[in-house]
Amino acid sequence: MAKRLVLVIDQERCIGCETCTVACNLENSPAAGPWIRVETRDARIKDTPVGRYPELRMEFLPRLCMHCTCPPCVDACPTGALVKRDDGPVILDEAQCDACMSCQDACPYDVILFNEEKGAVEKCHLCSHRIDQGLEPFCAICCEGQAIHFGDLEDPDSKVAQLVRDRETFQLKPELGTGPSVYYCPPLKRRRLV
Amino acid sequence: MVNKADIRVVRTACPAHCGIDACGILAHVHEDRVLKLEPADFPDPKYRRICLRGLSSLDITYHPNRLKYPMKRVGQRGEGKFERISWDEALDTVATRFRKIASEYGESSIGWVLGGPGSGTTKFGAYLRLASLTRGTRVSTWGYGDAGLPCGTRVVFGTHFPYELLAGWSDPKLIIVWGSNPGESVPLNQMRRIMDAKERGARLVVIDPRFTVTASKADEYLGIRPGTDAALALGMMHVVLERGLQDEAFLRLHTVAPYLVRTDTGAFVRGKDMGQGERSDYVVWDEEAQSAKPTGALETTAALTGRYRVNGLEVKPSFQLLQELAEAYPPETASEITGIPAPLIIRLAEEMVRARPVSIVTHMGLSRTYHGDLSIRAVAALSSITGNISLSSRSGHRPIVLNWKPFLHADPSGPTSKRLGVLQMYDAVTSGKPFPIKAVWMAFINFLNQCANSNRIRDEIFPNLEFIAVTDLFMTPTARYADILMPACSFLEFSDLIMGPHPYLQLQHKVIEPLYESRSDVDIASGLARKMGLESYFDLGEEGFINLLLDSGHPSVEGIDVERLKQGPVQTHASQIPDRDDEIRFSTPSGKIELYAEGLHVFGQALSVYLEPLEGPWSNEKYPLTFIQGHSRFRTHSMFANVPRMLELNPEPVVEMNPLDARARNIHNDEWVTVYNDRGRATLKVRLTEGIRPGVVNICEGWWVDQFKEGDFNALTHDAVNPVQEKVFEPNMAMNDVAVEVSKA
Repeated sequence: MAKRLVLVIDQERCIGCETCTVACNLENSPAAGPWIRVETRDARIKDTPVGRYPELRMEFLPRLCMHCTCPPCVDACPTGALVKRDDGPVILDEAQCDACMSCQDACPYDVILFNEEKGAVEKCHLCSHRIDQGLEPFCAICCEGQAIHFGDLEDPDSKVAQLVRDRETFQLKPELGTGPSVYYCPPLKRRRLV
Repeated sequence: MVNKADIRVVRTACPAHCGIDACGILAHVHEDRVLKLEPADFPDPKYRRICLRGLSSLDITYHPNRLKYPMKRVGQRGEGKFERISWDEALDTVATRFRKIASEYGESSIGWVLGGPGSGTTKFGAYLRLASLTRGTRVSTWGYGDAGLPCGTRVVFGTHFPYELLAGWSDPKLIIVWGSNPGESVPLNQMRRIMDAKERGARLVVIDPRFTVTASKADEYLGIRPGTDAALALGMMHVVLERGLQDEAFLRLHTVAPYLVRTDTGAFVRGKDMGQGERSDYVVWDEEAQSAKPTGALETTAALTGRYRVNGLEVKPSFQLLQELAEAYPPETASEITGIPAPLIIRLAEEMVRARPVSIVTHMGLSRTYHGDLSIRAVAALSSITGNISLSSRSGHRPIVLNWKPFLHADPSGPTSKRLGVLQMYDAVTSGKPFPIKAVWMAFINFLNQCANSNRIRDEIFPNLEFIAVTDLFMTPTARYADILMPACSFLEFSDLIMGPHPYLQLQHKVIEPLYESRSDVDIASGLARKMGLESYFDLGEEGFINLLLDSGHPSVEGIDVERLKQGPVQTHASQIPDRDDEIRFSTPSGKIELYAEGLHVFGQALSVYLEPLEGPWSNEKYPLTFIQGHSRFRTHSMFANVPRMLELNPEPVVEMNPLDARARNIHNDEWVTVYNDRGRATLKVRLTEGIRPGVVNICEGWWVDQFKEGDFNALTHDAVNPVQEKVFEPNMAMNDVAVEVSKA
């Protein structure tokens, strides 16, 4: 059976430290900005909670390419520079990119960046250079909170399959039918002192 | 493009001053350049970790502003005007000046001001060896924030740190993170454990004036007024004791609770007080026999409460005294002081009894107030009365005993260095008390930036020093005041022994040759030793120093040497566990957990009393806000403050303020504001956030002086010396006990 490589990101364990961002920057040297960035949910200012002191909530959500099962960017790309691999990653051949920006318009997740220097777009490729050697994406191995899990969803023994099976998960904008390969586990429910 | 085959991978360890973590690192090297760092494996996969700073530490090694060669000052101190000199000239100058000043003011007038070496050891040890041989003064920097906690735990447990005692449970049902933020700062290695425990069903409670990342993971968050932790602990003790829920078996077996105290002197009753000659045994009241008797091994029938007469003396079990203290703190009173609603205090106290075992994860945050040692003692007392002290650390693990003798007392036949706490050094420099310090050697410390009352440092301390030698990687705010400035190596350029992460020892293995003319601190100390005719003590090389440390003969490090460490982390051996629980002895005078410390009776602090913060808003109308210093994930103290990769994510210092306080001052988000008091000011942007308690403002520490529009964060702090801390260990900087006002700049 073909692999289905996915990321499961556990919000309960994400401490918003941005080590993933730094790790990606070091591994992939993106020119136009980080390919993975951590959003503080619902907050006006990063790293600040919502609510009124002391009744507060602060949740972090790492955002990156969703490596969609039906990727609108691939559909929109007129040159064939963007390709959906059978095992999951959506990858870009920047030599074929003519910077028409159709993909950026098509992507509902705002994760395709324009690299002015190269005159091409750039995006997360799930560290395909690493996963092809049997390694994990660099953000996953560096994750301080051990919140980013990588693996084959078709393998029932994998951590990702186990999390998707046992924990509540959600995807971003599922209504668009893009079929994201990035799953999120929401934070555990607070158990107040009674 | 670099050919993969040409890349060698070297295992080393990150010694950054996150304290106890020391991540294992794999450095990918091509020719003599490190291309990339990644986390290294450990036998226990939970230990494979790195953080954003560790990953970015290449940016320190290859920073364009690295100090590249030794320099001498040519302008005014602080001006930053220097001229390149040779190592030979630099070390000759230091040796000559040190000799002259020592002959004029005494050998102890040379201060070795060594900051946080992180988990590094030999770089620290080499200077200690030099200080010892030259009989100078070793200036301890525990007191720049880290002395309050040991001041507390030395009294209660006789240990320097309480971590395993309070948080040692492998499977806690309740975790209370009290005054620390492991999600962003130390003890970072606890955060994964906390989250693991939470996944297994533990409840997490966080007590902090700031709604930190750690607080965001909490089931319950208690937003406390800074410096009032002892009142909270006493309020919780009140609830436990009122309901009779204390763990009496634990108290009898492991604490001084049953020991009788004389109400006239505050001293423990001893055998001799009962007319039993010179016997120094402690005495308990035997309820069965209705008489006082010397302590035996098991105090099963010893009274914990009551008032008795022994040999004409009025006496009480020390637990009775603790109970009387707690009686004065019903939840409503504790609530008024701490700002935490009384029902929450009650619920947390009840949960502590219900949900055993309870882990309390604490660190330096709550101990950085003037009475921070009392806060720690009160938390420890609360843990003790509920029986939530993990005894395994007294019986199975820790300590790794390294051989510091050749460093602290390098010539066993002669005298050695004196010791002075960093806050005590202030007066030593400015008024010669208790003895003069006239010259300093500063290594791995950004003294001006990170120490209390920076204007006093600028205006009184630096001008009163005849000579200042500094080693550093950068032209820090402190380095600008050096007379001789020497370039030190980054951790990739030398080898060292790394203590941690517990229970491992690691080798920080030299990955590349030192860049420019930089030298390791061991190398620099050795060079200076040669100039002072002490080379015979320094001809061991880096690995020789490491083996000297490992040569303690202690069973925990038996068989571990540099060669073994080169293969990867080595687990230290757990020590012998006593057969019987009651054979566990603490390193306190009584051998028990001292909820009552007779030696501090003269200070009125035999018990963990609550005392108002020194600069609490109730005593300060002019400066109604409490200023605290959180720790940011973007810096380790002042390290990484100049690293572009961190500045991209966190570009400038901000003062965090609650919108309520801002409204009262007509302050808007992102405006320039000045934080000020009588000592000084700091001008910077304001960030309005609900994540901080009204009445409290926070600047995350570590930003360099020149990164503020005006002033700096330590211009606000005070250098008040707490005499109790001075007696117990050394006085601590109370950077979370500072009154300020804020206005538009």
